[in-house]
Amino acid sequence: MQQLTDLFPSPSIGPFGRRLRQPRGGRIPVTVVTGFLGAGKTTLVRNFLGRPEGYGTALVVNEFGEVGVDDALLRASTDETVLLGNGCVCCTTRSDLQVALRGLVADRERGIIPHFRRVLIETSGLADPGPVLQTFATDRALGGEFYLEVAVTVADAVNGADTLDWSAEARKQAILADRLIVTKIDIAEASALEKLTARLRELNPRAEIVTAVKGEADPALLTEAPAPSLGGVDNEGARGFLAEAAEAEHSDGIGSFVLRQKTPMAWATFARTMEVLTSLRGEDLLRVKGFLDVEGCRGPVLVQFVQHLADPPVELESWPGGTRETRLVFITRNLPEKAVRDLFAAVSAVSTA
Amino acid sequence: MSANDQSPLASGANESIEWNFKLIGHHELGGFGGMGEGMAVQVAPDGRRIIWLAHESAPKNFTGVDVSDPRNPKMVVQTALPHNNVRSNSLELTGNILAVAYQTKQHGQTPAGFELFDVSKPEEPKSISFFDCSGPKSRGVHQLWFADGEYVHMAAGAADFIPNNDLDDQCYRIIDVRNPSKPEEVGRWWLPGTRQGDNVPPPVRHQKPLPDMGFRAHNTNVYPQRPDRAYLGYLDGGMLILDISNKAQPQLISRWDHSPPYSGFTHTLVPFFNRNLLIMTDESTVDRAADWPKLVWVLDNRDETNPIPIATCPMPPVDTWGNRGGRFGAHNLHENTPSPHCWYSEDVIVGTFFNGGLRAYDLSNPYQPKEIAAFVPPAPPLSRAGAIQLNDLFIDERKIVYTVDRIIGGLYILEMGF
Repeated sequence: MQQLTDLFPSPSIGPFGRRLRQPRGGRIPVTVVTGFLGAGKTTLVRNFLGRPEGYGTALVVNEFGEVGVDDALLRASTDETVLLGNGCVCCTTRSDLQVALRGLVADRERGIIPHFRRVLIETSGLADPGPVLQTFATDRALGGEFYLEVAVTVADAVNGADTLDWSAEARKQAILADRLIVTKIDIAEASALEKLTARLRELNPRAEIVTAVKGEADPALLTEAPAPSLGGVDNEGARGFLAEAAEAEHSDGIGSFVLRQKTPMAWATFARTMEVLTSLRGEDLLRVKGFLDVEGCRGPVLVQFVQHLADPPVELESWPGGTRETRLVFITRNLPEKAVRDLFAAVSAVSTA
Repeated sequence: MSANDQSPLASGANESIEWNFKLIGHHELGGFGGMGEGMAVQVAPDGRRIIWLAHESAPKNFTGVDVSDPRNPKMVVQTALPHNNVRSNSLELTGNILAVAYQTKQHGQTPAGFELFDVSKPEEPKSISFFDCSGPKSRGVHQLWFADGEYVHMAAGAADFIPNNDLDDQCYRIIDVRNPSKPEEVGRWWLPGTRQGDNVPPPVRHQKPLPDMGFRAHNTNVYPQRPDRAYLGYLDGGMLILDISNKAQPQLISRWDHSPPYSGFTHTLVPFFNRNLLIMTDESTVDRAADWPKLVWVLDNRDETNPIPIATCPMPPVDTWGNRGGRFGAHNLHENTPSPHCWYSEDVIVGTFFNGGLRAYDLSNPYQPKEIAAFVPPAPPLSRAGAIQLNDLFIDERKIVYTVDRIIGGLYILEMGF
């Protein structure tokens, strides 16, 4: 069977398309902000919109009332969309997030609303962020148009630790975040802050934890993904996945682990293993994200899964930090690291036999 | 009724767009910021990086801008034309030699031809020679290509070129400039039937409502990968590939003419050699998109004797963009000009679309080009178009993008973010 690259070959295009300078390529970056009730999500978002870096943001909320759009900022509105100052637009997900996002893209294309540069989704209260992340995890839905740049969870230092104790949704928000922003540190007891930080670190050892006071935070925290952490064990030349310190399983049966491998992997091995995993245990794969060193590819191949859905893989121009190594983060429920490792090993053995 | 009229959010339509391009510099060129379609980057003997820019029309001839620091562009020289009946809308550079095209308003006027300048000292361009193309039915040179330091390929009239129709007055001419002080013509090609005395009938002219724009050469690109091929846009004649292995007698290899039903003015033809593709534009030449659609076409060129159109690059909807002011539609492309100071890309197309601004397309899948970046600045102050009219672009090997406004806005300098 002829491939596109046979008809129209290119030294700069790999099996996953044009090699990208950054993962989102030409897609619209999306920031998802979740947070505990009263943690100060809205203050953080409003502060961001008011800064020059917030220019050209399309804000998606459940209800206008929640974000408290200032009358002075309001320029024009329809039932579902309002224009804000600063080239921003705000719309509600009254019907459905996908419908709202499609509407934004169509209106942007037609010049009806400003040509926004990013989408910021503020989820309501203690929502499970899973379904929102899932929206962007497949090209069948919106993955071809949008790219989930960063998922941020806001927790307040005063009540955060207690919230984590009683709320499974809060724990899931913390576990699935790329970045955790701790607010109200100015009015919290030092011991409460310590307790919250320790609890967050335990739940999500890989996320960046930063603090904010009265919504004042570096705008980049809402627009840029944390740099992938590097380093770790050094077993140059070893075959198969390397061992990394095992992590304890949290309450709710949710745990996370990292698979690392120094040697390139056949794409078929990865794809087939993930096919088995997603078909048998899709709902327990809360999030899988990382860089793959794929045989025949120059750059790292970025892969992302949310449950049974896969974001289209993209190849980047170069390896972050110059370190060539497969590094996959799994956040799973009742699915132990060993089972995943064994499955990769088994598929690999069968594939190469 | 346009979409704008229907929406209470209509004010958004006139906001500027900076999507995956970042504006880092802007120069209004001393108030003479109506720019043509000649742009070339030189690294001068003293190490400064100069971009040479052709003007859309008189009174200015060409302008050099020091873009060593693209955030702080400095105009170093701006030259004047002898009178207002001539324009120099095209230029190219090899090494330190700048070739500038002169086209007059009327047949028989002068100067009609091209001039070579030594720009080793950018502040002091020195004329080396002038090649005269004037004649009773000639307006001189509209566009030229000068990439190998040896030959100028151009769309030009000639003293002895008498067309059957006055609109067909510029053919493809090849000029040997290996001795730059004494340029000599070595070959010529024209669409059969356009010159008086041809033994075939003249081409059928475009009938109303299509505009009759003329069967004449526009871009005449030749690349080192195939020095035996010339890639021509031939306005109402469509696109052409010529065999120029014998420059004295160019031979037609293939021609794709989509008009009618399209409205001609085929402008640029860029081959992507590795990818067996051709990228072609039709220029929009009428305000308010009256000649829509003017497109960027992708052609399958696996068999150069039979190029097949397989896609066009998506443009924003004409109902909201057509009335924004001035022209809306395709024009120039980044042409992978063979120069050490030019970015080379066969997987991304970047082009200018007048009020549609500057747009970039991912060509990973040539059947489905996908827009990945756009730059549409606000209307420049005092622009009679009332909207930006981005005319041409050049991307240097540092991936810095230069683009110019056709009316008054001057030079915009951008970084690519995709």
